[in-house]
Amino acid sequence: MRKITALTLGTALVAAAGMASADETWGDYAGYTLRVKLIGGAQYEKLYAEIPKWEAATGAKVDIVSRKNHFELDKEIKQDIAANTIDYCVASNHTSFAPQYGDIYIDLNGAVKPEVLAEFDALALTNATVNDKLVQLPRHSDISNLFYKKSLYEDQANKDAFKAKYGYDLAPPDTFDQFKDQAIFFAKAPDFYGTQFVGKDEAITGRFYEMLVANGGALFDENWNPTFNSEAGVKSLMWFKELYDAKAVPAGSLNYLWDDTGMGFASGTVAMDLDWAGWAAFFNDPANSKVAGDIGLVRAPKGDGGKRSGWSGSHTFSITENCDNQAAAVSLLTFLTDHDNQMIEARQGLLPTRSQVWKDITAEFDAAGNPFMVEVFNTYAQSMAEDAFTPPLIEPWIEVSNVIWPNLQKGILGEMTPQEALDDAAAKARVIMEDTGYLK
Amino acid sequence: MPFWRRESATPFLLLTPALLTMAFVVIIPLVFSMYTSFTGYRLVKPDSLYDWVGFRNYARILSDWEFWVPFGRTVLFLTVVLNVEFLLGLGIALLINRITWGQRTLRTIMMFPMMFSPILVGFQFKFLFNDNIGIVNNALQSLGLSDGAIAWLVDAKLAFFSIAIAEIWMSTSVFAILLLAGLFAMPRDPLEAAKVDGCNAWQTFRHITLPFLMPFAYIAMAIRSLDVARAYDIVTVMTDGGPAGRTEILWTLIARVGYDNSRMGMANAMAYVSTILSILFTWYFYRKLVAARRYMGGAQ
Repeated sequence: MRKITALTLGTALVAAAGMASADETWGDYAGYTLRVKLIGGAQYEKLYAEIPKWEAATGAKVDIVSRKNHFELDKEIKQDIAANTIDYCVASNHTSFAPQYGDIYIDLNGAVKPEVLAEFDALALTNATVNDKLVQLPRHSDISNLFYKKSLYEDQANKDAFKAKYGYDLAPPDTFDQFKDQAIFFAKAPDFYGTQFVGKDEAITGRFYEMLVANGGALFDENWNPTFNSEAGVKSLMWFKELYDAKAVPAGSLNYLWDDTGMGFASGTVAMDLDWAGWAAFFNDPANSKVAGDIGLVRAPKGDGGKRSGWSGSHTFSITENCDNQAAAVSLLTFLTDHDNQMIEARQGLLPTRSQVWKDITAEFDAAGNPFMVEVFNTYAQSMAEDAFTPPLIEPWIEVSNVIWPNLQKGILGEMTPQEALDDAAAKARVIMEDTGYLK
Repeated sequence: MPFWRRESATPFLLLTPALLTMAFVVIIPLVFSMYTSFTGYRLVKPDSLYDWVGFRNYARILSDWEFWVPFGRTVLFLTVVLNVEFLLGLGIALLINRITWGQRTLRTIMMFPMMFSPILVGFQFKFLFNDNIGIVNNALQSLGLSDGAIAWLVDAKLAFFSIAIAEIWMSTSVFAILLLAGLFAMPRDPLEAAKVDGCNAWQTFRHITLPFLMPFAYIAMAIRSLDVARAYDIVTVMTDGGPAGRTEILWTLIARVGYDNSRMGMANAMAYVSTILSILFTWYFYRKLVAARRYMGGAQ
């Protein structure tokens, strides 16, 4: 208790010091109203509660003209581009979406102070760069690692039965082949499942893509010819299909998105869940989760290529070219991604993009006696440093994804063989790459 | 005297606001979207608005099986949904018409599903039909009618059935209300004459009540065939056209091509081809309406 009180006091002092310097740091924009469009949703809102502090420090007002989930926001921004109605300064962005938007956002190199940029992870900034322009400032990052129900692996009967069936010791999986074996071993549908996967939209494309890379494959060759219908691609798709056919995943998985997988693991009816760190605190909270106190975590498994899956991206903020007060916009961006605000997001399990925040949040959880969250940040820090890679940062990425995922579903459901499904998707992706000028 | 001050100009002047409004909200968008269907217009590249491609978008669509399958599925969806809504709406209207106490309350309750946003209806039925935690599967398992998790939103037939159920639940009351209005407006004389002539209940319904109600039914069908595109929200939430395109209908396809893929020129070409579908349905129901009214005129 004393430790927590001390920590709270310390945090309050740091916050007060932050505010004292903020008045000097954030500038004076009294009377100015900054129009912004932000991604909405429970995990993003805590940061927005800090905006009044920036308003108090600068005298400016922030007018949130839109707050939607990212897919809706993406549609809205595309309509703004089409109608030439970009009359706002700051917009939420994402590394996977940013290449679509052409030149509506400014290059933050030069706009944001170099010493501020130097405090961000170099890889996060590289992934936020499109056509040599830093069009977005990373707010927090995504990557997936494997949560598992610890008690299943400690059960002697499980250990014996698994060894007898598969010939190796039961331990949290290090490869996707082991992951598949164990998921099938633990599954007892419809009451209990070995794992689950997000089954539609860019979500399953991303999962397939990271397995493809882990298995030694690639989406495109160096000349942008689609190559995901390779042997590695078929092996990756087969992984999903074999789990589905064995009923090791819920029958409705092909309709699942992130909320479904997170809630599924928290319900205690799933043995393993490859998921982002944003769920970690929720999983370990007995009020929300039946697996609280029984969770293990390992890095995402390796594929045949000896590489771990590491599909990654960052939620970001961008400043529009049309902005009439770019200095105020830069000030808000810098504020929203500063050390203290990244700490606020990190306390929820969101992965920071500033190097110092990784150290400080781990120390804070350690001091608070929360070894689970320390393990979470250590594991995710390692995977962000060693495994992370983004989808191709090209304009037609979402469109290419939209021809891949329906065919992945066809392959999983047996409407086409995995090879046919990927060949067909590759042919469609080729047309898109030709239409958008990547392939001549 | 200038033209606009002459008395003969008055009707034109009075109509001008309406014509201008029509031009701005209907004609200009229609002409503009038709123009874009002949271009390679991409939402995120405003300059592509001038990228004239002639009939290329239409040629691609007409030879693309992945357009025609959702097209056919949309026709099937319309046919199934409208007919089931009609039958259920007719049944509800006939039952409510016979109630002598609490009829107003029941009429109000009957309209509740219409008050929900289609997005909410989508989420509600997505939860009901969830294979793992949905109450449909739980009920079936508890009653011993099923021992496995039925994949309502994955199996091709069941997924189509599930989205149709959601749409039918939301919109059956449109038919019920219009048909009930028809029943209220129905003259008593032919019914009493039929009774005197010895017709049984079925004969009275088949030869008097139903023909009288058919104009109302066709009006309801014409309205619903245009309005059924609201099912886009339900389908997007429940399945987003998947899995593997098994529930893809024209509206989800067009939205994905136009917004997610930014290919608004192609999406507008698809929309124009699908407009033909709407026109055909409306024309069919209008002809049926005229025929039914003519029949009623003869019967009277």
